[in-house]
Amino acid sequence: MSTHTINLRDLVILIADSSSYLSTIIHRMLRGFGANKIMECRTSVELLQTLTDQKIDVLLCDANLPPLGGLMVTQMIRRKVDNENRTIPILLMTSDTRETAVKQARDAGANMVIAKPISPASLYDRLAWVALTPRQFVDAPTYFGPDRRFKIEGYPGGVGRRKGDNELEVAEESGPALEQDDIDNLFSAARMGKD
Amino acid sequence: MADDNNKNDDNVRIFDVETTFQKYARRPGGVPRDRAIKYATTRVEELKPDFDDWLDKELQALAEAVRQAEDGGQARGWIDAINNHARQLRDVGTTMDAELLTYIAGSLCEVLDEMAAGAKFNRESISCHVDALFLARQRPYRTLKPDQVPELIAGLRRVLQHVSTSPG
Repeated sequence: MSTHTINLRDLVILIADSSSYLSTIIHRMLRGFGANKIMECRTSVELLQTLTDQKIDVLLCDANLPPLGGLMVTQMIRRKVDNENRTIPILLMTSDTRETAVKQARDAGANMVIAKPISPASLYDRLAWVALTPRQFVDAPTYFGPDRRFKIEGYPGGVGRRKGDNELEVAEESGPALEQDDIDNLFSAARMGKD
Repeated sequence: MADDNNKNDDNVRIFDVETTFQKYARRPGGVPRDRAIKYATTRVEELKPDFDDWLDKELQALAEAVRQAEDGGQARGWIDAINNHARQLRDVGTTMDAELLTYIAGSLCEVLDEMAAGAKFNRESISCHVDALFLARQRPYRTLKPDQVPELIAGLRRVLQHVSTSPG
């Protein structure tokens, strides 16, 4: 299990969510994981200013972060050429887990989508996956961000897609909400020729 | 940080990135997964005594936003105000062992989404969700799961169905 451990000490983690209570919950989870440098902001304006002022190591951003929203903020971070935070891992937190919403997050340049309400296990596993699974970056005229063609072989700790699992059936555009595992699989759909 | 290693064509560049996050997170000395989750759960549990206060404030604020919406007609701003409180309740509920609260608040968000998308304004459909949230706040209901109150869930589904099929 040693390879399934992540060390968050001294990493600067920024939580961007308009809800101070939810931010406190996530803050406490991260403390439990061993993180000791955690920042919070409440708006996208504050977030963009923070990213301009200092180096952030990982961003946990609400998809509805006012006033711009997490998707637009993600695109702005990825597209700003002279931004030293351009390639930071971005995990978008959202309650809207319809397939179209998850695809939009992926196409905006998010590394991962975390479904709200968030549990300690789901947060740890997604942070571990981003940390332990290197992905190339793509710089194209219409996209800058992590390569969307990747495959999830299973999360550290055994959560997620496993060998032998059925492939995700891609639903219609405005289908029902997806479970976290389906969201993870959707991020890998491109390589499987489904997107 | 970035290392060019591949160029598919003139317009697309694919390159390796090792972020500080990846580099640092792989260092030895981290908290093993099971222990990290246990610690995190304990720290979240410590918040639970404050959850009642937070919940009461959110519900009161939600009820007030609904009352103002009823007084002020159908101005667009009230959807955002109610939605903001409903989203917070939805996003926090299950994490604090109040799964029913998350379900009802999520249903209210769907009702509001339908209205924002053009469905007919229907104050009863909002009020009944608020009533259900106050019910779910009470002790006997707090830790129930949605499938333990099938009548309530069926009723909320009918309300959502009614709103989604009522063009504005």
